[in-house]
Amino acid sequence: MEGFGISKTNIQSKRVEKLFRIIFLGMTLILILPVLVILGTLIVKGGSVLSLDFFLENPTNGMTAGGIFPALLGTIWLVSVALLISVPIGVAAAIYLNEYAGDNILTRIINLAIINLAGVPSIVHALFGVGAFVMFFKFGTSILAASFTLAIMTMPVVIVATKESLQAVPIAFREACWNMGATRWQTIKKVVLPNSLSGILTGIILEVSRTAGETAPIMFTGAVFFSPFLPEGVFDQTMAMSLHLFVVATQVPGVPENLPYGVALTLIGMVLIMNSVSIAFRFYLRGKKKW
Amino acid sequence: MKITTIKSTVIAGLILTINISSFARLAIQNKGSDTLVNVAQAWAEEYSKKNKNVAVAVSGGGSGTGIAAMINGTVDIANASRKMKAKEIKLAKSKGQNPIEHVVGFDALAVYVHKSNPKKNISIPTLARIFGRKGTVKKWSQLGITIPGCPSDKIVAVSRQNNSGTYAYFKKIILGKKGKYRMGTLDMHGSKDVVDLVEKTPCAIGYSGLAYATEHVGVGCISKSEDGNCVMPSVKTAINKTYPIARPLFMYTNGEPKGEIKVYLDWIKSNTGQCIILKKGYAPIKNGVCS
Repeated sequence: MEGFGISKTNIQSKRVEKLFRIIFLGMTLILILPVLVILGTLIVKGGSVLSLDFFLENPTNGMTAGGIFPALLGTIWLVSVALLISVPIGVAAAIYLNEYAGDNILTRIINLAIINLAGVPSIVHALFGVGAFVMFFKFGTSILAASFTLAIMTMPVVIVATKESLQAVPIAFREACWNMGATRWQTIKKVVLPNSLSGILTGIILEVSRTAGETAPIMFTGAVFFSPFLPEGVFDQTMAMSLHLFVVATQVPGVPENLPYGVALTLIGMVLIMNSVSIAFRFYLRGKKKW
Repeated sequence: MKITTIKSTVIAGLILTINISSFARLAIQNKGSDTLVNVAQAWAEEYSKKNKNVAVAVSGGGSGTGIAAMINGTVDIANASRKMKAKEIKLAKSKGQNPIEHVVGFDALAVYVHKSNPKKNISIPTLARIFGRKGTVKKWSQLGITIPGCPSDKIVAVSRQNNSGTYAYFKKIILGKKGKYRMGTLDMHGSKDVVDLVEKTPCAIGYSGLAYATEHVGVGCISKSEDGNCVMPSVKTAINKTYPIARPLFMYTNGEPKGEIKVYLDWIKSNTGQCIILKKGYAPIKNGVCS
């Protein structure tokens, strides 16, 4: 017996412990490397084109000069309309699945369908969008058709995020409410939703950032290479940031080298800002939580 | 929930205000050829300065995309760098569309090689032996050439995706009506992509519109037969038809153009419109347009 002193095996296991710590730390650092490299490259190569005029002017001279305003506004249109469609449906579906539905075969099938919907490649959504919204519903190639396609594609994100934040509300809260004689809807409205708002909002903002960056679903359904005027309604077509990046990077000859990088930087900047807002907001709401 | 409600109200308000403040503007859908897309964009941009009541929305995707849209009746003007096939016109007529052809310019189809490639004169039969299914030329040394940056000696044949009008035209002229491209060509998804790739690949040879030429790429001098005189592609040789692979560029309308579409097409064919296509590196349909 060696008692409680430091044994050889003890020292060895401490070393192994240290080694693994370093290995895992290294892996984590590798993870953030691409983010830093991408951002760094974009800032170095594209930072010089960013200016207020770049954001607020139309592209000119065969898209080789000028700004990105129509694309920026187009993306805002597409995302806003997509949100108006997907948020009510997604949140309502999540509330049903979490608060009302029993654990039966139908619920399981619905859950499975949502998971599978999340796994459908975006180009398949795009073709579905052409068939369903552009042709069958006769929306034509328009913001409405593109936004419906985007909404369907991002709906699983909203549903899953909402469901998770509903699940995070302790069941005891609901039971207490029911015991007071409240109905399910009253409980949801007064207890469950207020307590899960931060999670739901996070899901929505995540959806926004994904929607803003998608290209395939809007390429055939509503986004155009070029349009000289801004969209004025949901049946207009529009330029969009993601497609504009593809166009200036690969389709237009004679584009100055820093222009595509500037467009990419703006797109990433939009997404990062929205994600940061989401995180800040969640922090704020969490601070207000009483449990 | 409150914040989402406010958000939706704001967005809905935004959409309403924009809709109310707008006046009826006619939208012309213009879609198709990647060869033409940058000219179409320039026309739309210039036309918007002149006529604020008409918005021309331009999309690319290839001649096949434009023609398919014409057949389905989802486009006002289809751009194509090849003629519509009899089969396609028949299909369009069966769907109640009546495609009318308009020649809006000419394009010299240039053959591109790497800047370091010493071979600058290429005959059409040689091109057929490089690109054709039955072609025997697979190595640059078979043509008596050594390229400094190409140690493998293998010819990298760069082609286009199969719904491209350029793809179809090159196939018909170089490989014959029944000809087929050889297996293993690199099929690029845009006119500019071909030139970009050839620019960076010493072993490569590819074809694309002359308007996409840059100073970093070699342009082939084309002869009809092995011992014939070769002609450099240029606007001039495309106009006087001495360049063997120059082709007309088309716009298709559904029926004889009427109203604003007719005004727009007439403007495209006018000196102003034709001067724009000339400045973009294509041949206009008549002489002396920029005077």
